[in-house]
Amino acid sequence: MNAINIIKELEEIVGKEFASNRSEDLYIYSQDPGASLSRPVDFVVMPNTSKEVQKILKLANREKIPIVPMGGGLTLSGLVIPVKRGIVMDMKRMNKIIEVNELSRFVLIEAGVTTGQLLAYLNNNHPDLQPPIPDAPPSATIAGNALIHGSGYLSQKFGDHGSMINGLEVVLPNGELYKLGSCAVSDYWFARGPIPDFIGMFISSFGTMGIITKLSIKLFPKPKLRNIVFGLNKDPTLLPELISKITFTDLAEDILLGIQDKPDWMKGYTFIIVYITGESEEELNSKTKILKKMYRKAKSRYMKVPNRIENIFLEKPQFAAGAADFRKGGGFEYVGAFIPLQLIPEMIEIGTKISIKHEIVPTMGARLIGQGHAAMFFISYSFNRSDPKDMKNARDALHETNKAVLEIGGIPWKAELDGQKMILEKMDPNYKKLLKQIKNLLDPNGIMNPGNWEVK
Amino acid sequence: MTANPEQDWKDIIHRCFRCGYCKFTYDYSDFNCPSYKKYRFETYSTGGRLWLIYGLITGEISWSQGIANVLYACTTCGNCLENCRFDKFNDFLVDIIEAARAEAVKNGFCPEKQKALIERIENPEMYNPYGEQNSNNEDLKKEYDLPDKAKWVYFIGCTSNYRQTNLRDATLRFLKKANIDFTLINEHCCCSPVIRTGQIESVKDFINFNVAQINAAGALKVITSCAGCYRTLKKDWLKFGADYEFQIYHTVDLVNELLDEGKLTFQSEYKKTVTYHDPCHLGRHMEIYDVPREVYKQIPGIKLVEMKRNRENAWCCGAGGGVKIGYPEWSLEISKERLEEANATGASVISSVCPFCRTNLSDANDIFDMNFEVIDLIEIIDKLDFEIVDTKH
Repeated sequence: MNAINIIKELEEIVGKEFASNRSEDLYIYSQDPGASLSRPVDFVVMPNTSKEVQKILKLANREKIPIVPMGGGLTLSGLVIPVKRGIVMDMKRMNKIIEVNELSRFVLIEAGVTTGQLLAYLNNNHPDLQPPIPDAPPSATIAGNALIHGSGYLSQKFGDHGSMINGLEVVLPNGELYKLGSCAVSDYWFARGPIPDFIGMFISSFGTMGIITKLSIKLFPKPKLRNIVFGLNKDPTLLPELISKITFTDLAEDILLGIQDKPDWMKGYTFIIVYITGESEEELNSKTKILKKMYRKAKSRYMKVPNRIENIFLEKPQFAAGAADFRKGGGFEYVGAFIPLQLIPEMIEIGTKISIKHEIVPTMGARLIGQGHAAMFFISYSFNRSDPKDMKNARDALHETNKAVLEIGGIPWKAELDGQKMILEKMDPNYKKLLKQIKNLLDPNGIMNPGNWEVK
Repeated sequence: MTANPEQDWKDIIHRCFRCGYCKFTYDYSDFNCPSYKKYRFETYSTGGRLWLIYGLITGEISWSQGIANVLYACTTCGNCLENCRFDKFNDFLVDIIEAARAEAVKNGFCPEKQKALIERIENPEMYNPYGEQNSNNEDLKKEYDLPDKAKWVYFIGCTSNYRQTNLRDATLRFLKKANIDFTLINEHCCCSPVIRTGQIESVKDFINFNVAQINAAGALKVITSCAGCYRTLKKDWLKFGADYEFQIYHTVDLVNELLDEGKLTFQSEYKKTVTYHDPCHLGRHMEIYDVPREVYKQIPGIKLVEMKRNRENAWCCGAGGGVKIGYPEWSLEISKERLEEANATGASVISSVCPFCRTNLSDANDIFDMNFEVIDLIEIIDKLDFEIVDTKH
């Protein structure tokens, strides 16, 4: 079928105004805000219902056209830029907040609901509840974030945001619609089991298994008060132990680390940022005291920071996109890796070394995940979008980082194509075999974001 | 920046990260960019536009009618100015879009409907975007017994002079009652519509003509009842190199000043619930939010209520940036959303200080049977009895 017929059929499904093969739209969807090179797109489509998604997938499957689902498009690793051309399905018209269950604390939403939208909705309608929010702009979608093992607010206490998924509605390449989780058995989207759990297959598979149309995610009680206890550490080797001890106390809602060489006075230090919550100032003061003591014992010290700094960290969502403007260049790669706690000192060393090699000011950090079971360690490689050499420099730094991460035992997060290849090279052969078998079973025509997680 | 479109905007445009803050209200509860809310493709966000413009600069893409259409489907309301988080960049977003529109014009891609603006304005019979016979305002001068020379010039603006004449007349009556020493000039369009749509070739000539007329009248102060003219005279004329020494006032400035000085006292009531619509050209573009509110609050009997989105966060009326002429139906849809928001306040009156907002809100009010009274602040004042003492303006 030729392009004219395909666009006509897409228009019939979603309406003329929400399907496009206009060159200006294709240009915008052929790139993302990261350092990835652009790749051509043939069509962009914005469905409004699960039924429309089903019809589009049936069309793509029939015509064997690659299809790539897109949320906020903010992974910075090119995951929503098609590798083998085809259709980008922008999910953001599917933006209904369907149900909030206050007692069982979950929200059922369509896949295009943004983090900003849900945050505002809960603030206005369910002020006692808080959602998991990534360190990303408010235009990031809740589903997109959870489906890449995103982390952010509440990750230290409750795990990565993928683990907070209770249920999914997913359309498979053949156009069939499936409910996964408790919703397959019950009217309540409250849990992943107790039945065989297929949800994990759709997390970090980058749209290669199917297209998520609805998602239920856990909500959490919003504390009355929240504060931050900042610490300063000069010896990274002491950090894993200190952090582990903090998680033992159950004091911290979230724990972040920050390392950056600019301004000069910050060089050589790791900033420990511990979010504490409480019902009263007294409770916060008591928790602060305990943390100060723990900092001292770990040869670190408590740091009083001005309110404006504290407010930066208390803002939801945090203004992480500011990193793109450090060099007034409009771009940064947010290289992340999931690591066990003990690798934090090595990651600091790796990040510093690679940054300096590539003449980028070392800027790193970490978020604790799941009470210390893991950390998402990130290195920010800022670049100037107007300088292709500088963008390549960031890509090279990213490549070296992924390699180094895998060598020490970490796993690159939301890995771009090269990173995925490196992970697959190191992956247990039987895991790879299973991945290939599952992909072939679900997507025999190979239309789902092909090129990603491609097992040869 | 628009003074010379070749200037530094091309050097900073790549700073847009396309993070998307520009689309939202302050609290992220809704999209506040009319264009993104309508079209939903990323292309139609400010970020999308900036990336298209950057692609044109680098030569990665070439001008097309499609790109021009994206650039022109923007009310230039300035929501992006308020929500973009990059300092010394966010201030220029509307300027960049306008400068890119000027490039579109140069490259022959100005959409047909918007071309009518320049054709009418440059027509020596008209000099206004409405295609009306130009009024040199001599009849009004006679009617209101105005001198040839005065301390103030009332710059009426095309919308008030050719469409919202009640607003014009209310202003004239107020200035007379206030004993303001003012006159009118043979004014040509201030050029707001053509600057906003990038049709800037003859703008300097128009500015020079108007400045010469104002100077010839011996005026030290220029007052206008139009938010669009106010922005254009105060900001754009200077950017286009105008050299003038007179001060620019919006009528609301004068009313507020008289109230503050105790020289104006209202002697009758306006017993209605009113909600104020911030015109983008006065609000986000000129950062004037409190002055009109102060005036409304001092009108006896009035109950002023706020819409959910107000001040920096206000939803646009949909008329600006060439959208009313280029996309008339969509323009009214935008106004309808504003009226629905006004409806939620319980107000029976939606009021503003801009004849262009008044026009679009009135049009939507009529078409969608919204049953509001749409009225300018100066028209409300015109309905009241008031006393003015000791004015030496």
